[in-house]
Amino acid sequence: MISVFGKTAELQLERDVSSRYLPVVISAMIFLAALALAGLFSIHSAVQDWSSAVSGNLTVEIEYQEGKALDKKVKVATDFLKTFPGVDQVRPLPIDETAKLLEPYLGRPDVIKNLPLPRLIEVTIKEGSAVNLVAAAQKLADAVPGARLNTHRPWLDKMILLARSVQILAAAIMVLVSIVTVIIVIFAARTGMVMHQEIIEVLHLIGAQDGYIARQFQNYYARLSFIGSLPGLLISVLVMQLFAFLAGRLEAGLIGAPTLMLEGWVALAMLPVIVALLTTVTVRWIVLGSLKRMM
Amino acid sequence: MIRFENVGMRYGMGPEVLRDINLHLEPGSFHFLTGPTGAGKSSLLKLLALSHRPSRGLLSLFGHEVSSLKRKDLPNFRRKIGVVFQDFRLLDHLTTMENVALPLRIAGIEERQMRKDVAELLDWVGLGPQIDAKPPTLSGGEKQRVAIARAVINRPELLIADEPTGSMDPEMGLRLMHLFHELNKIGTTVVIATHDASWIERFQNPVMYLKDSTLYRSDAEEYLARFRRG
Repeated sequence: MISVFGKTAELQLERDVSSRYLPVVISAMIFLAALALAGLFSIHSAVQDWSSAVSGNLTVEIEYQEGKALDKKVKVATDFLKTFPGVDQVRPLPIDETAKLLEPYLGRPDVIKNLPLPRLIEVTIKEGSAVNLVAAAQKLADAVPGARLNTHRPWLDKMILLARSVQILAAAIMVLVSIVTVIIVIFAARTGMVMHQEIIEVLHLIGAQDGYIARQFQNYYARLSFIGSLPGLLISVLVMQLFAFLAGRLEAGLIGAPTLMLEGWVALAMLPVIVALLTTVTVRWIVLGSLKRMM
Repeated sequence: MIRFENVGMRYGMGPEVLRDINLHLEPGSFHFLTGPTGAGKSSLLKLLALSHRPSRGLLSLFGHEVSSLKRKDLPNFRRKIGVVFQDFRLLDHLTTMENVALPLRIAGIEERQMRKDVAELLDWVGLGPQIDAKPPTLSGGEKQRVAIARAVINRPELLIADEPTGSMDPEMGLRLMHLFHELNKIGTTVVIATHDASWIERFQNPVMYLKDSTLYRSDAEEYLARFRRG
């Protein structure tokens, strides 16, 4: 008597005004949850990109000193670095390239070149090599006065800390959205129980098990939640695409367009199923609890 | 089969609506339950229908003490009891066939057998042409017959009816009383709550009389003599 699609044969829950707005509320909750989830996965992906980009690269900075032959210092430092075990490539950056790097912040490169700029050497570490960076930095400073090894680690640590904080916030939003969804579903199910108390009593008296009645409630509300979650999910994906497009237009090296890895898309696609399951379990728990208070 | 020993019943923290009920109904017996409005007839029927538990005393149905029954066992006991409500309690969105078939569906009876049984019973109570009608389109008497058909479709061991003929013309009321007696002849214990002394006079079954929340029992003649004296 209970239809596959959750239409309730005896209780006619679909005629309840009280549950009519549940899909709208679920839709809003799924919208927020999807954005939070996408944030979680995008930041995770960004942190991985930053880490992999930075962990294999070091920069050596040769301090600018008036009247000193910087090019000679660069040559000495380059030769010295090449002797290090685990170093793959050592590439001194021409002054034009350094000026190009500063162009977004300081303006025209031809003007920047006249500034007292430090010289930079890009060092690439062989994949899987363990280089003692503290010892290397000390040896370099001894061999080439004014040379400083920059591992990017302090900067990366700060970025990761910020990213992890945003991830925790996103996870907290997910938890909050789940709690609010459960509370809304509880209220809807309780209202449904009160509105259909007379029919529930009849079903009980003609021999219906509690599970038979609970199934009608849980199937119906799960169906509402599933249907309600679809527009919320769709809108959130559109918003994410719009955000990715706008972020991509920034052309900033650090803040790229947010990318969602496969696990993120799978998690998003699972949201309607998860919310339907959460609704099923919540409604069953509430209805069985209420029925136990009846004889 | 049904035994009440010093049974009392109250709703919540309210006063007792039934006091010290002592009663023993043999299997296959037929009783009328009567008494003035507010005397506790509906409450007694609720106890019999396993809709409420007594607040004190012992109530046993079909050889089992009700307070010791586990929740999961209640549906099986309720399937042995047919209840006809005074206000019918039909499901308005279901057809006559679906309303009557409901106890069979819940019990998991096979669809073809169920349709056959329901159609036969509806023919018997004169509702064959209304098999696909929904309760809002039926008269009061027709609704009452649907409610009775739903109560008896499962061939219950105990049939309880609250004013079952109240909404019917005398001819249909008599026909249904005969149905109750036929069910009684095949072993169903029947308890009919009624205000109508003419049924007691006609069928001469034992009477349970409720007054001031207390139950008295008598045979039909004794009750009618007292009833006529006022």
